[in-house]
Amino acid sequence: MTFALAVVPITLLLLGFPIFMVLLTAVTVALVFFMHVPLAALHQNLFASVNGFALLAIPFFIYAGELMGRGSVAQRLVDFVQSGVGSVRGSLGVTAVGTSAIFGAISGASAATVATIGKVMVPAMRRAGYPETFIAGLITAVGAIDVIIPPSIPMIVYGAAAEESVARLYAAGVVPGLMIAAMLAVYVVWRAKRENFGAGEPFQLRVFLHAFGRSLWALGAPVIILGGIYGGVFSPTEAAAVACVYAALVTTFVFRELGWRDIVAAAASTVLFTGQILIIVACAGVFAWLLTVNQVPATMTAWLQSLNVSPWMLLLAINVLLLLVGCFLDPLSAILLLSPLLVPLVKAAGIDTVHFGVVVTVNLAIGLFHPPFGINIFVAQSVLGLKLETIYRGIIPFVIIYLVALALITYIPDLSLIGVRYLLARG
Amino acid sequence: MIDRVLDRIARIIEVTLALAFIFAVLLNFANVLGRYLFGISLLGADEVQIFIMIGMTFLGAAVVTRRNLHLRMDVLVRFLPTPVQLVLRVAEQLLLIALACFVLTQSYFYARQMLRLGRTSDMAGVPMWIPHGMVALGFGLMLIFAVCRLLHSARRTPEPPVEAKP
Repeated sequence: MTFALAVVPITLLLLGFPIFMVLLTAVTVALVFFMHVPLAALHQNLFASVNGFALLAIPFFIYAGELMGRGSVAQRLVDFVQSGVGSVRGSLGVTAVGTSAIFGAISGASAATVATIGKVMVPAMRRAGYPETFIAGLITAVGAIDVIIPPSIPMIVYGAAAEESVARLYAAGVVPGLMIAAMLAVYVVWRAKRENFGAGEPFQLRVFLHAFGRSLWALGAPVIILGGIYGGVFSPTEAAAVACVYAALVTTFVFRELGWRDIVAAAASTVLFTGQILIIVACAGVFAWLLTVNQVPATMTAWLQSLNVSPWMLLLAINVLLLLVGCFLDPLSAILLLSPLLVPLVKAAGIDTVHFGVVVTVNLAIGLFHPPFGINIFVAQSVLGLKLETIYRGIIPFVIIYLVALALITYIPDLSLIGVRYLLARG
Repeated sequence: MIDRVLDRIARIIEVTLALAFIFAVLLNFANVLGRYLFGISLLGADEVQIFIMIGMTFLGAAVVTRRNLHLRMDVLVRFLPTPVQLVLRVAEQLLLIALACFVLTQSYFYARQMLRLGRTSDMAGVPMWIPHGMVALGFGLMLIFAVCRLLHSARRTPEPPVEAKP
């Protein structure tokens, strides 16, 4: 059985086989050669793994982000944030951070944010004389906030894998996401002052009000999504569907930028993304079922308890593992592969699974831009025309900031749990 | 010729799923509006949306297979010599053919059983052989696409270009 559940998947993963095939092969080998259960269990579990209402939030949020990203929403948000923080030194960098945070509260697709925000900010920062390494590092790193600030696709997937409430995870992600944004903004201002670039311009109320008016409709999306979820008006899935309709109406009838063909094209992109992700969710569901019926998580938990490892040490070990995995694997696949093993361990160690969900998300968010293979590095390289060596040199300070934030989030659970206590509607 | 037909099939599936997905969004929105404005819910709306998502999962995965866009960890393989990479690509198609045959068989018999029993979903009354059949159909299409790609590898002809990326 070890051959089916460990040797086969690890070998195929390293050989570059598609992740759904890695899981499906392991499952098939186990069912056919090592287990005595009806083979129909394969179909039943494949079907049951994606037969859940909560998972609908994934394509819905992707679609809302697709619609919002196709028009001038990014430019409007950039103008709004810039008009507010323009007087600060390094204001364009702070604008990139702020806009990414707001964009993250609309969609939660990190690579799309790097491309969308980068296209607007990189030329402006170059014109303003920002160092190229700084631009490359900031723009590549800033998109990772999006998967931490809700709505976050990795959190939905973690919620499904760990059987945890998505609304609670979303409430838990707010403070860590804003804290990382604040840390990045402080670093940007400090660096701009130290290296004397990005001089600010006087604040103009008229410009600010004009930019606010232009961005009002775009700012409405996060208000509806997060206000609706935290206020108990919608479930996360319903909030995502409302966000889709809102995004379609705003971009089509208010901004007059999208037509019906664009709306269908955005839906087609969402179909492809869903096909990529949910087939892994389906196969990971069968894999997790196999692990459970073979008592793998229970055995691992008993082994860990016999070692008397403290929760502090366990979290440290898991952080190192996730950072390593995050360098090579996309966050959603990593969550689906590892959650069935890690969640029982942290539960047994008395760690809150909502807090752990945020730790996992931040870890894998770092993997999105961590050298050498973070996906956002290649997005910044291909879409924004930034050089790879420039990105690698520029990204290091930002990786350190995220690691400091990760340590704080890991060892101060209240940073995550305060949102659960105070943001969610009672009752 | 066969490539154009398969690309056409993939495109038709993609657009059909996209339209079904837009319908699911509107259905969900209508349910929210109905609940808050009129105090009514559309019975079975959740089931229909989930079945559309199941279609997007398995039929969408078939389109993703055709476009060669599945997620994978290929950073290590890139450093291998080209002949080894070619062997791995052929091995991948052979494995996909075997897996698709296996799942197709299981899912087909399960869907056929649903049809024989006349099972319908609890609220919407959708015949259950339809969502279960989408699993079989998805893996059936993956099987065809994998065979086609394997034939390309055998003839050493280039694979069709990727049409779109999500």
